[in-house]
Amino acid sequence: MNTDLPGGALLLDGRRDDEPTLALAHDALVDGVTAGGWAVDDWRLRDDRIAWCTGCFKCWTTTPGVCAHHDDGREVAVRWVRSDLAVLLTPVTFGGYSSELKKALDHAIPSLLPTMLRRGGETHHPQRYDRRRDLLVVGTVPAGEADGPEARTFRRLVERNTLNMEPPRWACGVLEEGAGEWEVRVAVDALLAKVGVTAAQERVDFAREGAVA
Amino acid sequence: MNAPQTALLLIGSPKPKESSSESLGTYLFEELETRGVRTQTVKLVKALHSDEATEELRAAVAGSDLIVLSFPLYVDSLPAPAMLALERISAWRADAAAETGEALAAGEGPVTGHRPAFVAICQSGFPEVEQSEIAVEICRNFAATAGFEWAGGLILAAGGMVSGQPLRKIKGMMRSAARALDLTADALAAGKPVPEKAVALMAKPGFPRVAYRFMANWGWRSQLKKEAGGTPLDARPFA
Repeated sequence: MNTDLPGGALLLDGRRDDEPTLALAHDALVDGVTAGGWAVDDWRLRDDRIAWCTGCFKCWTTTPGVCAHHDDGREVAVRWVRSDLAVLLTPVTFGGYSSELKKALDHAIPSLLPTMLRRGGETHHPQRYDRRRDLLVVGTVPAGEADGPEARTFRRLVERNTLNMEPPRWACGVLEEGAGEWEVRVAVDALLAKVGVTAAQERVDFAREGAVA
Repeated sequence: MNAPQTALLLIGSPKPKESSSESLGTYLFEELETRGVRTQTVKLVKALHSDEATEELRAAVAGSDLIVLSFPLYVDSLPAPAMLALERISAWRADAAAETGEALAAGEGPVTGHRPAFVAICQSGFPEVEQSEIAVEICRNFAATAGFEWAGGLILAAGGMVSGQPLRKIKGMMRSAARALDLTADALAAGKPVPEKAVALMAKPGFPRVAYRFMANWGWRSQLKKEAGGTPLDARPFA
């Protein structure tokens, strides 16, 4: 987020099915962001026809900044660059994002420039826009797997994403399937607080005080 | 890992033509053919396009002793169709295991059924192999979950050098990559995993990074000049 004022959040909902913990996390994210005074663009990706990014790079060379193909994929870059907070929700899939989430995320590439520069000892593409967005990623794994190999890969993936997306603030959480509503809400609020959603911070403080009391 | 009789190449690039992932995979599979392995190639985008083609993919996976997935790096991991293919294959493997009552994941006990080997080849436009390591790790996790035997991963950085050309045509420039694939074919055909030497050769930079970045930037600007009708490279249409 570029200012301290609440802005707009884009929630890319990469659920493949109605797994209950992801449903709880989704609702907690929407409630938490809304309570913080933010507008939520809640995009359930499995309902939309987003063609796969073909890697034609016309969004870099022919129609700079715009996907050359006319489908919902073109919308991703628009909604992405106009958001102040990007929230990614997904079942952890072999340590990566679900194919549903990935079909949208692959279309975020027009928000970068094609040129390469050296940053932090590696090569990266510069951002096309000055406006940056915070990044919050929430994934779920089977019960007992929060520290397993897929969860570890997932955390490393999100960290690597931040090197390319350059969010001012970011957070990543892995929830276990079977977690209860209260547990999910506390975890989600704590993550939202890390990216500056302040109403969530107040609820975390309240929950902590309640736990101490 | 046993010496494979049949091998399946999965092309994970969504590009309809001139795919560098296909160039690398095809070279490896031609080498496997010369070593007596029967090969088959499937483009995942096509295979996932219809129920009939997906069923053919399912049969191809079930009938292969070795599967190689060759893909480009997309946003630090695999492209969406490659992820969808892995999701589907994993579900098919789980269904098949459930039917026979066997354990599937490596951590769940001995696997008694057909356990093909799985290899990943990732190429990216970045000149550092580190940028692709997580994508290969995802493939490794997939192999464990879906009951395949992980036989290694190769990473080619600065994949822009290939640009979808047949590897044999540019073998002079891509000497290390071709040698890496030769060694990989030797090992896989003999029932061994991808050798460390092949991994190191594939990772060997063919060009100094500074020069690669300079050339890439020049290339993008030239292409834009031809195609964008005067729109600047750093246009901000949604600002």
